[in-house]
Order: sequence, then C-alpha cells, then structure tokens
Amino acid sequence: MTDSLPTVRILAHESAAKVIGRELNRRRFLSFAAAAGATGFLAACSTGGTQAAPVATGGPLESKLSMYTWGDYDAPDVLEAFTSELGPKITLSSFNSNEEMISKLVAAKGTSGFDIVVPTGTFIPQMVENGLLQKLNHDLIPNLEHMDAAFVGRAWDPENDYSICKAWGTTGFVYDKTVITRELKDWNDFLDAAQNEASGKTSLLDDPAELTGLYFWANGVDWNTTDPAELDAAEDYLVNTLAPHVSAFDSYPGGAAIPQATHALLQAWNGDARIGILESGDPDRWQWVLGSPDTEIWMDNWAIPTGAPNPEAAHAFINYVLDPENSLAELDYIGYHTGVAGIEEAAQAAELPMLDLVFFTPEQIETMNEGAVTEAQARIVEIWNATKAAAGE
Amino acid sequence: MSKRSGAALAIPAWAWLLIFFVAPVAMVIWFSFGYKPGIFGTHANDVLSFDRYAEAMSPTFFATFQNTLWVGIAGTLLCLVVGLPVAYWMAVKASPARRGLLVALVMVPFWTNFLVRTIGWQVILAPEGWLSTTLQQVGLIGGPLDILYTRGAVLLGVVYNYLPLMILPLFVAFDRVGPPLREASKDLGAGKWTTFFRVTLPLARPGVVAGVLLVFIPLMGDYITATVLGGAKGNMVGQLVASQFQTAQNWALGSAMAVLLIIVIMLTVAVGALVVWLVTLPFRSRNRLVIGDAANAAPARPVTTAIAAIRSRPAPADEEVSA
Repeated sequence: MTDSLPTVRILAHESAAKVIGRELNRRRFLSFAAAAGATGFLAACSTGGTQAAPVATGGPLESKLSMYTWGDYDAPDVLEAFTSELGPKITLSSFNSNEEMISKLVAAKGTSGFDIVVPTGTFIPQMVENGLLQKLNHDLIPNLEHMDAAFVGRAWDPENDYSICKAWGTTGFVYDKTVITRELKDWNDFLDAAQNEASGKTSLLDDPAELTGLYFWANGVDWNTTDPAELDAAEDYLVNTLAPHVSAFDSYPGGAAIPQATHALLQAWNGDARIGILESGDPDRWQWVLGSPDTEIWMDNWAIPTGAPNPEAAHAFINYVLDPENSLAELDYIGYHTGVAGIEEAAQAAELPMLDLVFFTPEQIETMNEGAVTEAQARIVEIWNATKAAAGE
Repeated sequence: MSKRSGAALAIPAWAWLLIFFVAPVAMVIWFSFGYKPGIFGTHANDVLSFDRYAEAMSPTFFATFQNTLWVGIAGTLLCLVVGLPVAYWMAVKASPARRGLLVALVMVPFWTNFLVRTIGWQVILAPEGWLSTTLQQVGLIGGPLDILYTRGAVLLGVVYNYLPLMILPLFVAFDRVGPPLREASKDLGAGKWTTFFRVTLPLARPGVVAGVLLVFIPLMGDYITATVLGGAKGNMVGQLVASQFQTAQNWALGSAMAVLLIIVIMLTVAVGALVVWLVTLPFRSRNRLVIGDAANAAPARPVTTAIAAIRSRPAPADEEVSA
C-alpha cells in the first residue's frame, strides 16, 4: 500500500522540505498504528467473552440484569420491586420463537450479553448439548423448595440442573356463542364448526406445530410423529379441507381479535384466551374449551445462558420470582400457572377471575402431551406455509 | 485533479453500497448454494448445489407469489391513481407559499411507527370498532362492518402506508415542469387535458417511474401491512422467506427463496416496463418529432415547423425525438 502512494509534490521553502517529509512519514506511521490497533481490538472483542465468563458463587449482585424472554411475559410490578429491593437494573428483550432465541445465542457464541433466557422445555436438551446454557447453582435459589413436585424434574431436565419452570400452559379454543349456538366440546367439533358456522371467521395459532397438532390431536395421532404418511395426510386435510375456511393466523388473539370480535372461532393458548375474554366488552359471549381428546402442554423455563455477564443477579432474580407472593403477582399478570406449590389456593383466596382457564384437573393434565423438535421440523414448516398459501387464495 | 477529487466524493456512497448491499446479497447468494446440516445447524456450504432452488420452486412459493404480485400491482396502481391528482394539485394549483406545509403534511404519517399505524387501522376496521358502530347507527350498513381480513383492507393499508412515497417524487416532477411550458401550450391552442397529457405528464415521466418503483419494490417485500389487515388473505412471499430463516432455521432454503424472489421481481418490473412501452407506443409515434423534413409536416404542426425551421440542417438522417 505504501509503495503505491505517489510522490508528494508541495510548494514550500527548500529548508522546510526535510521537516515536512518527516512529518508525512510520521503521520503515515500513526495511521498504520491506529489501523493495526483497531484490528487487534476487534479481534479481542470476538473471542474475549467466552474465556472470562464469571460463575455465580453467592458474591455481591452486579448492577445490571439483561433478560431475553417472550413478549409481555413478566409482571412489571415484580420487575420494579426486584430492582428497588435488590438493586440490579433490568433490561428486557423479547423473541417470538425458541428458534429465534437459539439462533441468536448460537451466533453470539457466549457473548450475547443476556443473563436470563426463557426457552421452552423441549428445546433444552439440544441447548445443553450445544453448550448454550450453564448449570444453575441451586444453593443460590433456596425458593426452589416452593415448586410443585409435578413441575420439576421433567424429562428434558430431570435434575433441574439447567432450568426451572417459569410458566406452563396448554392449547384450546374460544368461540363466539352468538355465532355458534351449539355446544363445542373437542377438536373435532372445532374442525366441524370451522367448515360450517365459522367458515371465513376462524383463526388459527400462527405456529407450525400447533397447526399440525390440531389435526393430530383431533385424530388421536402422536403429535410428534415423523411418519411421512401421517404428515402427508395432515397436509392434505389442512391444505385442501380446512384452509379455505381460515381467515387469520394469529398467535395472540387475546390481544385484539377476541376483544374486537373479529372472529367467531379461535385456536388459542389458555392464558391469552383468558386475557382476551377478560378484556372483551361482553365476556359472556365467549366460551373457552380445552382441546381434547388430546392437546399439548408447554413449559417455559428460567435458564442462564453460557457467558452471562451478571450470573449473581440472574440467580437472585430467579430466586426472587419463585417466592410464592411474587409468583402469584406473575400469575395474575400473565395468566399462566407458574408451577409453584399451593398457588391455586392462593389465587382462589385472592379471588382472581376466570381461574378455570389457568388451573386444570389431574385428569385434564393427563391428556396434555409435550412436543418435541424432530427431523420432521422442516416438513412441518412446509405444511404450515402450504396451508397459509391455500388460505390466502 | 478535479476528476480524482470527484471520485473521492463518491467513496462514502461506494462504501455504503459495498458494505450494506453488495456484501449481504453476496452472502445470501452464497448461502443459497449450501444446505441445512442438521436440526440445530442453520446452514453449511461444504457441498454446493442447486438443490435448494429446486426445493424453493414449489407450488406453495408460486401460489404465495401470485398473491403477493396481486397486492403489489393493485396497490401500486391505486397509489398512482390517488397520488397523481394530489401531487399535481400540490405542484400546480396550490399557492406556492403553502407548498412547504403541504409536503410536511404528506410526511406526517411517517412520524409514527409503521406497525403502530397499521394496527391503528386494524382497530378502526374491526367489526366492533367505532367506525362499524357509527356506520350502523347512522344506518349506512345493516350488520357489523365486514372489511377487516379481506383484500380490500389490505389495499386500504397499502395506500395509507405507501402514498407519501408516490406523492413526493410526482410532486417534484410536476414542480419541475414549470408554468412557462403550460402557458406556451395554452397559447398554441391546446386545452387543459391536451396540455396535461401531451406536455406535463410526458415531462414528469421520470417522477412517475420513480414513484412506481418506490412503492412497488418495498411493497413486494412487505408482509406486515398485508398480514395485520388481511389475515390469511394477506399471505405474502416475504413471510415465506422469514419462516425459513426464523422458524425452520433453514438459511440455505430461505436464501434460495430470497434470490428467486429478487429475480422474479426484476422480471416483473421488466415485463411491466415492456407492457407500458408497448401500450404507449401509438401515443409516442403520434407525438414523434421528425427533424429535417419540415416540408411534409408543415401544414398541421406549427410547433414542429418552428423547431424544425430553426434546426434545419442539410439532409440529415431521420432523427427521432420523442416528445
């Protein structure tokens, strides 16, 4: 690069030539030094984080806490109370899918800067296998003892080494009794009403697994099947039979669709359906039905990613929200069971509304299956896209 | 010296293009030849193939693309039809003192976030929304308003969100035509409509082209307007690409779809330009100005004769200038 620079021609006194020449050389050297320094700095940035990740040992809390979670998933009061009681200032970022969160953690290679992430249980084994999560220090989370035994030690993390239940929920549907006057009881009724009274006024969850799930749950097929014949049958039904009657794919109908009555039949998660019905001007018009004969159970979990810069604060926060009182405040805000023991009685004592959409009987829980990420994922996304294309015609 | 410093002025622009356009597009093209290595990987490029393109060219892609194209073309035409008179009025009829204010008013919607504006329309158009209840009370409609989640709602949202992008280049183009040419046209006996279609509009053509491209191209990639207001009817191809990157975690297939989309949009624009060129061919040949052959053209066209007389040269080849 230096060789290609043209000779400098300057009009100046002869005696000044030497000084100017030296100055030019010095500047060139400085600019090189700056460039080299910048390269070194950038290189340091790209690898620095993974080496010196602190580990939580019960030391003083850091001043910050960065959470990466689902949108609008924590009670603002609880977050504010944590900061005012214990100090760390909380920064929230949100994701729309586990895949999105995982791809960000993978791309950052331990330098994402997040202290807490909230993955769904079925994604945890792969995250652990790929070194995305660090082990929790149970000594720093004494409130773990408040957890209901039914919601700890799930198959994907038997010892809760990496995760603790944040909230769990299930899938069902809501219908407008002024449009559908008969009683709907299960997924088959849902599919039948979608093609009759609610044709053109049906909304489905905008999520590939919930879409194929709708067909598999109704027909008693294993939700996590990878059998190509079953998947083909699901595609044929969803694309050719159901899609022409579908008017929207909406993962959060509780936000607008139920209060504004834009649809008559809506597949929804229980907590979201509850919010929608509570915010509706005419709650009696809506009926919630838990999906049956089978439906899903999903469980989102507190976890700490590898390389978290503020692990002490992260442990302190997880411990803080597991406190039964704070947990009840969280439940009141998000409308999902937090997995803390005795919370059902506490919620009833606090007279929270519509608890039948939050708590389920053991018999009902028996019909809820956990999803799995399998090699059929690409195929399921393909079916989802084909169904959306067919519904748009 | 001047040439070199001129090139230096362009360095920021070239750097910008290289870093934010050429490099990302090159990466997308590179990824599109790779594959998805496993459930957890997003892309790998150790084996290169065209297989992803074969996968991308599915009936789903073309059905979705057809829907997208419909929204793109109908939305652009509607913006043009609505925006043209507004821009003409702003540039020609409105008082010059108010023009700055009018341009600012056109920009006002941009002060609010795109998504928030669109969701605002969702609230307005809802069957239980205030528009619906008001119309029912007045007695204009019998039942609840049934426009949300239809293509009509999509077009409404598109016109609302993209109209400023159409009006501004048109306004500049009409403004640059200037009053003297319109006056000259009037003096030579042309009516209002003739002046508009044979003088003003042809001279404003670059503005029309800029406006159409500014609306059409972003619209083809936008899926927020369409999904929020159209529901299932607003299924756009941009969403298909997004689903491969975010949900399926298949960057290779998503990239192949993106490249395919770029190619198909370029083809569409080329076909559109060709159609416009063919349709306007008769008009342009009518307005054709033949220089140097003044004798034949003399009786009917005073303007042509005048120019031809000024510029007449000994026996030139037939030069064509489109008016």
